[in-house]
Amino acid sequence: MTNPSHPIANQPDSQVKPTWLQPLLMLAPAGVWLALLLVVPTLLIFELSLVPGIRPGQVVNPSGLDNYLRIVQPDYFPVLGRSLFFSIGTTLACLILGFPVAYWIALKVPHRWQNLVLLGFVLPLWTSSLLRSYAWITILRPTGVLNTILSKIGIPPLDILNRESAVLIGMTYSMLPYMVLILYAALEKLDRQLLEAASDLGATPPQAFWKVTVPQSLTGIAAGSLLVFITSMGDFVNPEILGGASSMTVARLIYNQFLGATQNWGFGSALSMVLILVVSIAIALLLKYGDRSAAGGV
Amino acid sequence: MSQAATQNQTSTTADAEFDVELRKVFKVFNSDTVVRGIDLGIRRGEFFSILGPSGCGKTTTLRLMAGFETPSSGELLIQGHFMNRVPPYRRPVNTVFQSYALFNHLTVWENVAFGLRLQKHTKADIQQRVDESLKLVKMDGFAKRFPAQLSGGQQQRVALARALVNRPAVLLLDEPLGALDLKLRKEMQMELSNLHRELGLTFVMVTHDQEEALSLSDRIAVMNQGKIEQIDSPEQIYQQPKTPFVADFIGDTNLFHGKIEGFYPTMLWVITDNGLKIKAKPPDAGSSLTSGSVVVSVRPESIRLSLSRPNEDVNSFEGRLRNVMYLGTHLHCLVDLTSGDRLTVMRPNLPTTFPSEDTPIYISWSPQDCLAIPIT
Amino acid sequence: MIGLPAHFSRRSLTRRQILQTSAAIASGMVLSGCGWTLAEVRPALSKGNKDDLSIYTWESYIDPQLTETFHTQTGINITADIYDSNETMLATFQTGKGAIYSVIYPSDYKVAEMIEKKLLSQLDHSRISGLENLLPEFQNSVYDPGNQHSVPISWGTTGLIYNTDALNPGPEDWQDLWQMQQPLNRKMTLLADVREVMGATLKSLGHSYNSTNPTEIKQAYEKLVQLKPAVTTFTTDAWRDRLLAGDLLLSMAYSADAVRLIQENPDAKLRYVIPRSGTSLWSDTMVIPTTSPNPDAAYAWINFMMQPSVAADVTQRLFFATPNQAAYDQLPAPLRNNRSLFPSDEVIKACERIIPLDAKVTELYDQYWTKLTSG
Repeated sequence: MTNPSHPIANQPDSQVKPTWLQPLLMLAPAGVWLALLLVVPTLLIFELSLVPGIRPGQVVNPSGLDNYLRIVQPDYFPVLGRSLFFSIGTTLACLILGFPVAYWIALKVPHRWQNLVLLGFVLPLWTSSLLRSYAWITILRPTGVLNTILSKIGIPPLDILNRESAVLIGMTYSMLPYMVLILYAALEKLDRQLLEAASDLGATPPQAFWKVTVPQSLTGIAAGSLLVFITSMGDFVNPEILGGASSMTVARLIYNQFLGATQNWGFGSALSMVLILVVSIAIALLLKYGDRSAAGGV
Repeated sequence: MSQAATQNQTSTTADAEFDVELRKVFKVFNSDTVVRGIDLGIRRGEFFSILGPSGCGKTTTLRLMAGFETPSSGELLIQGHFMNRVPPYRRPVNTVFQSYALFNHLTVWENVAFGLRLQKHTKADIQQRVDESLKLVKMDGFAKRFPAQLSGGQQQRVALARALVNRPAVLLLDEPLGALDLKLRKEMQMELSNLHRELGLTFVMVTHDQEEALSLSDRIAVMNQGKIEQIDSPEQIYQQPKTPFVADFIGDTNLFHGKIEGFYPTMLWVITDNGLKIKAKPPDAGSSLTSGSVVVSVRPESIRLSLSRPNEDVNSFEGRLRNVMYLGTHLHCLVDLTSGDRLTVMRPNLPTTFPSEDTPIYISWSPQDCLAIPIT
Repeated sequence: MIGLPAHFSRRSLTRRQILQTSAAIASGMVLSGCGWTLAEVRPALSKGNKDDLSIYTWESYIDPQLTETFHTQTGINITADIYDSNETMLATFQTGKGAIYSVIYPSDYKVAEMIEKKLLSQLDHSRISGLENLLPEFQNSVYDPGNQHSVPISWGTTGLIYNTDALNPGPEDWQDLWQMQQPLNRKMTLLADVREVMGATLKSLGHSYNSTNPTEIKQAYEKLVQLKPAVTTFTTDAWRDRLLAGDLLLSMAYSADAVRLIQENPDAKLRYVIPRSGTSLWSDTMVIPTTSPNPDAAYAWINFMMQPSVAADVTQRLFFATPNQAAYDQLPAPLRNNRSLFPSDEVIKACERIIPLDAKVTELYDQYWTKLTSG
C-alpha cells in the first residue's frame, strides 16, 4: 500500500498540506505566546542589563558588561549564597514533609475523600502570602504562640524569629502545597501492582518504597523540586518579613533595583539574568540526571 | 525463601504432598463475601488451574496464596507452614501478574535481578542466575532493554524470568496469557507447559479461558460465586461434570431440567420440564441417584442428525433446523424441537450436502453420551 | 490596588507586587530611532463624567465619612483606589491605569520626580482658597517651591518609639542607640529604608541626612555595622504587635504610625521621640495629573480638604499632622500640644527632607545597604 503508482481511490491529494507543516501550524499560537511573553521580555531584560545605571526615562544604549562586573564583586556572593541556601533548604524541607503527605493522600486516603483532603492542603494558598508571613511572626516571636506552648510544657523558649530558620519555616509553609499537589499527581498514577510485585519478590515495605515508589515518582519529585526551587529563588516576601538584619537575597536585591529608591534598572536586569541563569542550570541538571527512565527512551 | 521456615507458627499436621493447602478459607471485602469456604490442596509439582467466570473469586484466591490478601477466616498453608498472616515478601511463592507489573524504570536484567539483589546474593551468583533465567525464557538478547521497548509477549517472558529466578516453591500465574493475541497465546501455552515439565515446580494458574486450563493443567478447580464446584483432571471435568454449573461452563452443552422417572443399575429415565423422555447416565458408575431433580447434559458434538426417523427411538426427537454456521472444520447449527427446546448441534464439516435451514429434521444421541447431574 | 490592613505604613517602600514591576518593564519600552528609550508610558487621556471623581491615595486618607460630606457639599461621587508605596503608585499610574485619576497623593520626593517627568499639571492658585493658611515652611518647600504643582495635606517625622518601662531613661538622640546596645540586643528594629537608616546614622555623626560625601557615607556604614548585632531586623511595618507585647523594646518609625499606635493603646507604656540632633521630615501632598479627566472636580476636592474644619477633623481621626494653621487652631488642646505630632519649631529646624540623589551616589548607598543586610 506504499506503492505510489497506485494511489488509494477517493483520496483528495491535491489540497493536502505537507504533513510536516501541520504540527507546526498547531503549535503556532503557543509559539507566539511563548515568544511574546517569554523570549522577547528576556531579550529586553538582557539588553537592559548591558546598560550601566539606567533609570526610567533614559536612552537604552548597551555599552558593556559593567553591571555584570559589579555582580562579581565579593559583596554580592553572600547574597547569592543566601538565596541558594534558602531555596535548596526549602526544597529539601518540602520534599521531606511533602512526600509522606502526598503518599498518604494518594495511597491511603479513600478515593472519594482525596479531593477534600487535597483542598484542605491547598486552602492556605487562597490567602495573601504577605498575611501568611505576618501570621508566622505572631507564632514565632519570643512571646508568641509557639513559645507560649513550649513554656507550658516546660521547654525553654526558642528565639527563631528574624533568623534563617524562620525564613525556612515561612518559605516551606508557602511552598509545601505546591510540592504536595505535584507529588500527589505523580503518586496517584503509581501502579500499585508494582508495589505488590516488589513485595512478591521479597521487598519489605521500606525496600519497596525506595526501590519502586521513589523511582516511579521521580518525575514528580523532579518537577516539584524544580517548582519549589525556582519559586523560592524569586520569593522576597518571606526573607524580608521573617528574616533578620542579614537576610538580603537576590530577589530582594532585584526588587530594590526596580521598585526601591535606587531605580537602577540596568543592575536589576543583570541580577535578573543571573537568577535566570541559576534557575536554567538547575533545570538542565535535573533534566539530565533527574529522570533515568525518561532518558532510557520510554 | 528460607524465611518461611522461621514463620512456622503451628506445625499443623499438613499433608506433605500438598504445596498449597486451603482449609475453609473465607474472604470478605466490606460485607461482600468473595471467597466462601474454599478447601483445596495443590500437590507438589503439579500444574493446577483455577478456572471460572469473572467475579467468581479465583483471582482473590490466588492473591490469598501470594499474600496480597489475608483470609477472613480459615487456614492457608504453604509447604505445610501456616501462612495466614505472613506478608508476601516472606512467602516462598512468586507471582506472574496479568499486566506483568514490570518495573519500567529498570532494564530487563535489573527487573530479573530485583529479587536476588534483595536477598543479598553475591554479584557473581546474581549474574549467573539472571543470565540463566533470561536464557530459559529466550530473552537473553534483551537484557539491556527497558520494558517499554518490548512487545507484550516479550514482557510476559521477562515477567516469568523475574519470578522463576527466585526458585520459588510455587509459581502463581494470574491470567498470564490474557493480554496476548491468539497465536502468541498458543505459543506461550506450549512454553509454559515445557517450563513446567523442565523445572518440576508447582504451578498455580488462574484463568477464565477453559481451553487453556484444559490443555495445560494436571488438575483444574472450577469456581463459581466464591465456591469450588469441582476439582478434577481435565478429562473428568469435561466428561464427568459434577454440577450443572460445570457442565454448562466447560465446553458447549445442551441442558434439560427434569425429574428422575425410573432407573436401571446403570441408566436413568428422566422426564424434562418440557415433557421429553431421556435416557441418561448417572454421574458415577455406582451412583445411588434414584430420584429428584436433575439436569441432563448432552454435548453438541454427540448429537446425530437425520432426515428420516431413526430406527432407535430412545433419545430421538423431531425438530426443525435453524441457523447453520460454518466454522471451518465444523458446522454449528440450532435445532428447534417440537417440545419447544432449542438445541445446539455440532457436526464435522464433511463434503456432503448439508440440509438447508427450516428443513424438518430428527436428532438423536446415545444414552452413553448423556449425563444426568443432580441439582443440589 | 491591594487593600492592606490599616496598620501598614504609608510611606514604606513595601517590596511587593513584582508582577507590577514586570508589567511596568513590558510597557515601559518605547522604540525610538535606532535605539530605544526606557520610557515612562503616559496614560492615555480620557474624558470623565463631571460628577465622578477618581482619586488614588494612601489607605488612611479616605473614609466614608469624608466622601459623604463631600458628596453632600458638591454632588460629586468619589471613587478611591489605595496604594501602599510611592513606587507602586507611580508604576501603576504609568502602566496607563492612571488616566482615570484626577487627584493623587504622592509624597514630597515623589512630587519632585513627577514634576521632572512632566506628569503633574500646574495648579491654578486662583481656584484654590486657603493656601495662605498653610504654615510658612509648607508654602515654599524644596520639592515644589511655591506649591506650583502640589498642595501639602499632612506631614511628619521619623523617630524612635520605645518601651518606657524597659528603657528608663529612654533614648533622646540617634547616638543613644549605640550606647544602649546591651539592653536593646535583638529587641530593636530599624526602618527597611536605606536612606532613613543611613541618614539617621549620618546625622548621629554630625553630617547631613542627605550626604553625598563618599567618606561620610562609608563612615556611616561602618558605624551601622557596629550597631547591627543588636538590630533584630529592618522593617517598616512588622514592629507594632511585637512592641506592644514586649518582644521589642524600640523601633525606628514614622511619627504617624507611632502616634497612632500610642493613641490607640493608651495603656501601653510607649513613647515616641524625635531625636535631638534632627531627623527627616516628610509630607504627603495632593496633585492633579496632566491626564486628569475631571480637573474641576479635582479642584473642588482640594478646596474641600483645605477647609480648616475638614482638615482638623481628619487630623483627629487619623493622627496626621496637618500643615494647615487654621485647622491646627481648631484642634483640641491635647492634640495641639502633642510634641510628637507637632514638634517645636526648634526641633523642625534641625530636620531635613530626604531629597533624591544622583545615580552614582544612590548606587553607593545601595551597595553599602546590600553589604549591611547581607554581611
